[in-house]
Amino acid sequence: MKPITRTTRRRRFEAWAPRGIAAAALAATALSLAGACRPSVEALDPQSLPEGVRADYKLFERRCSKCHSLARPLTAGITDQVQWERYVSRMRAQPASGISLEDQAAILRFLRYYSDEELRKKAARNAPAGPPSSAPPPPPPATGSQPTKGT
Amino acid sequence: MKPRLRLEVAFLAFLAFVVALALAGPRQASALERNFAGSAQFDYHFVPSAKGARSGPKAFDGLTAELSAKLAVDVTEHLSANMKLCFGCHGFETDMMYFDYRVSDALNVRIGRFSPSFGAFNLRHDPANHRLSDKPLAYDMGRMLRMRQWNLGVLPSPFPDTGLEINGMKALGEHVSVDYALYAVSGLKGASDGTDISFRDSRTPFYVDNNARPTGGGRVSLTARLGETTDLTVGGSGMFGSWDPESKLTYGIFGGDVTLRLEKTTVRAEYLVRRQQFGVADPGRLKFAVPVGGADYFLKHGAYLEIERALTQDLDLIARADLLHRAGNVEKGSELSERATMSRYTLGAAYAFERGLRLKVSTELYHYTDAGADARHVDVSTHLGVAGTF
Repeated sequence: MKPITRTTRRRRFEAWAPRGIAAAALAATALSLAGACRPSVEALDPQSLPEGVRADYKLFERRCSKCHSLARPLTAGITDQVQWERYVSRMRAQPASGISLEDQAAILRFLRYYSDEELRKKAARNAPAGPPSSAPPPPPPATGSQPTKGT
Repeated sequence: MKPRLRLEVAFLAFLAFVVALALAGPRQASALERNFAGSAQFDYHFVPSAKGARSGPKAFDGLTAELSAKLAVDVTEHLSANMKLCFGCHGFETDMMYFDYRVSDALNVRIGRFSPSFGAFNLRHDPANHRLSDKPLAYDMGRMLRMRQWNLGVLPSPFPDTGLEINGMKALGEHVSVDYALYAVSGLKGASDGTDISFRDSRTPFYVDNNARPTGGGRVSLTARLGETTDLTVGGSGMFGSWDPESKLTYGIFGGDVTLRLEKTTVRAEYLVRRQQFGVADPGRLKFAVPVGGADYFLKHGAYLEIERALTQDLDLIARADLLHRAGNVEKGSELSERATMSRYTLGAAYAFERGLRLKVSTELYHYTDAGADARHVDVSTHLGVAGTF
């Protein structure tokens, strides 16, 4: 059996390295194209939100994505406002969170809207089949609504 | 039943209890508010430049899994409890089990098992919270190549320990806030007259101190909001203690970090250094001669610069440059020289294809100053992983 010399190893590496880099670049390009061709799944589309909620959502997106993915709060399943208050308050206290008391109030406004919407969708899914309900969806909160006091 | 198996069965039972507690807990308002969360990462690490089918005991290539389940309970307005159990390369571990008593924003008392505040990366150590499959070299806990020769990074993350921490946050005006933390924990562990810390002994059961002297440390960081979509965090951390049972050998770890978020781009830079004494009672165990009256310590430096850019809301591109440098004596038989350097360049992407589920792809180029037994100065590796969170 022929011994593997340093030159052989170098040649093997030289053959493999560009392939590895090319594979990663190709995968990244494919992902970029896939990502550009469909609506976001990780975050919410601000344009799909009522105007009064957009600014609060953008702040939520900015602050909360600093340490974790947005999927964490969006799939937490919390619908109780007091629980949200304690949750966000705990997050605000994380080192370098950058979440001020004013930010907390805006984040809570968005989460209140979001959990109300989730509850409404769930109720619609669970409702027996029949003619569509005539009840209008809940109005979005006003931009200047009184924030819930944080803990 | 073997003791380790018994321990794992106990952990499984404990995990089942946590899950049952979370599922049984009321979702509506109640005196106790529970939040159950979890994450998992499955990663395939391929080293095409390795000589054989796998890169051997030098790296965990192939498929690895990291699973975690976390329960946070708000007991009262001031008291909360956090528990996180992990399953990774070393089996089940307790990553968190602590109580927080928050007197005010500026004063929080934490007691139990937790990772003491050190550096910027550890807050994002959960695989669901960082975009690449692996961690920076300075914080690496087993995905780096040549991990055994280097004995991992400077401070493998996470580093859960048992003790007490006092931390808090104070706003300085509208745009600036300062965070601080001071702690005493049992500290990293190793053998009597050993040549290096055993990170495995430091994190796996049994969670008892191997000496009676706690490790103390602290961190201070400043966060400034420079604009609506721009913020900057600058921090400094340090810890000092002894790691051997006789409490004769000391270690000190110090670090600085900067994080800048500018629109959709995040730039992170960190530097860590560990100064660590080792046993010289038997100089025959060491590779290089020990001068009389000195050189019973080594320095291990680690640094990284990372740029993360969100191309779309679901797709991030990440580029990272890493460096590890070790200066000092090593064990006889080690492939490292007295001054050894490892650098790594990473290019990767993370793509959320479902809410809470992310695909991670990356390629790394390693360079070593010491060729090692396989006479290689360069290696290439690739990660393909899926990380999920709920």
